[in-house]
Amino acid sequence: MNSSTKEEGQMKTKEILETKSSRRAFMKKLSIAAAAGSAGLVTGGCVSLESSEEMGLKWEEYFKKNYRLMTQEEKDETVARLERLFKLQHNENVQISNQEPQENVLFGYAFNISRCKGYMDCVEACVQENNLDRKAKTQYIRIFEMEPGQLDPTSGDGKYHHEVPVENKFYMGVQCYHCENAPCTKACPTKATWREPDGIIVVDYDWCIGCRYCLAACPYWGRRFNWGEPEVAEEEITKKQHYLGNRMRMKGVMEKCTFCIQRTRQGKLPACAEACPTGSRVFGNLLDPNSEIRYVLKHKKVFRFKEELGTDPKFWYFID
Amino acid sequence: MKKLFFCSSLLFLVLGMVLTSRQTAMASGSSVMDHILAADEPFDNRTIESAHALPVKTVQAKESYQGGTFRVLARKDSITRFRCSVCHTDKVVQVRDGVLFTHGDIEINHGRGNDKLACIECHDEDDRDFLSDAEGKKIDFDHSYQLCGQCHFRPKRDWLGGAHGKRVTYWAGERVVQNCTNCHSPHAPAFATKMPVTYSLPLDE
Repeated sequence: MNSSTKEEGQMKTKEILETKSSRRAFMKKLSIAAAAGSAGLVTGGCVSLESSEEMGLKWEEYFKKNYRLMTQEEKDETVARLERLFKLQHNENVQISNQEPQENVLFGYAFNISRCKGYMDCVEACVQENNLDRKAKTQYIRIFEMEPGQLDPTSGDGKYHHEVPVENKFYMGVQCYHCENAPCTKACPTKATWREPDGIIVVDYDWCIGCRYCLAACPYWGRRFNWGEPEVAEEEITKKQHYLGNRMRMKGVMEKCTFCIQRTRQGKLPACAEACPTGSRVFGNLLDPNSEIRYVLKHKKVFRFKEELGTDPKFWYFID
Repeated sequence: MKKLFFCSSLLFLVLGMVLTSRQTAMASGSSVMDHILAADEPFDNRTIESAHALPVKTVQAKESYQGGTFRVLARKDSITRFRCSVCHTDKVVQVRDGVLFTHGDIEINHGRGNDKLACIECHDEDDRDFLSDAEGKKIDFDHSYQLCGQCHFRPKRDWLGGAHGKRVTYWAGERVVQNCTNCHSPHAPAFATKMPVTYSLPLDE
């Protein structure tokens, strides 16, 4: 077994050296050969749990570019690799999309603080949809129970657990505001987080080095860090995923609300807006003068949290 | 030599000042609001093909949204004992069947204090398959917003515009919204007090 894989590896190396090709293709092939070779070495000593196919895929994944520098072909390749890897590791099929933003679309959100009752259906729907770590109880959305007259969530209670709504309190949902002038994207040393043309701030989980500068830069506590390997029960994994959205994250990377990029780019509402039983959450295209969100901005009393910072969030609070 | 050094440092200072002033100008001048308000061309929602027709039954609303049409979720199919006229006939009901036929399970909690509404304030007195407004005009069960809106005109105005109520499934495609009665029980329209479905841990700040 050991010698045969070794031979195969040598054959591959020889093949590569003899055929003329570009540097990139050469590196790629070399990496496959090396993976095959190293797999052989491991299996020689003890029984490896990983198949050589899985190792090869992981090796190739290791050499991919930042998502923004990839050509469409490379994006399709990495998505195919990730789907195959998931199949090998979990024996389940997932569909990972790399759907591009639509033209003339800028996503925006409005939250009605006089309607929210603090039921937290949005939080639960978000956890389910985005495959959030159940062990560390990661949540993108936080609902604060607020005293009347207060508009700063830090003054509210974010850990309430009693019957809601409570008389003479109001509820304020906080999540990533997808700022137009986002400080988190400027703090990132590896350019692993950026603003997409439709206004969504995304993270390339494979380029995140876990330095957490973005977490420190965000004035809204919009980002979550994976301190451990995220755990989601296999039957609960949302199978329709996006490369920049709810695909499975790993230990040591940053993640955040993506306005459910896997849903919204297909014309659907984010999971939180769909789950809300009170209709407090309005989502839509800011560039469409006929959209609901534009109606809210035009006809309602709106404010943005910490507007004076100049971060230009695309998330408005409004009252009836 | 010293002069050269002085000149070059001055140049850098001027350059730096120009750059920083440009940056601040950019930060204060271009807010996302300017960008949003500059967009006055309606977006063609049909371009997003995945936002196709919904699998649920909808009806065309009898009012307009931003000058155009929209749809609401149909109501009649989800009323368990519709059509009402099956029971509500001229036939005399015997006392022993009365238990079966009365709506004893409905508790009306609609209206302020002890001043609760009576059935026929919304339901048509003569034709039980319809509702009727204060002027006696018959209103279809699918279009109950016409009835609710006669008192709750502010929520209705917001609902027509999109600040109250909610869209169904898609932000794109044809506008489909929930009817009043999808969220509010007409007999007890206030939202209940209940436990939240989950809880949050303190943030690691």
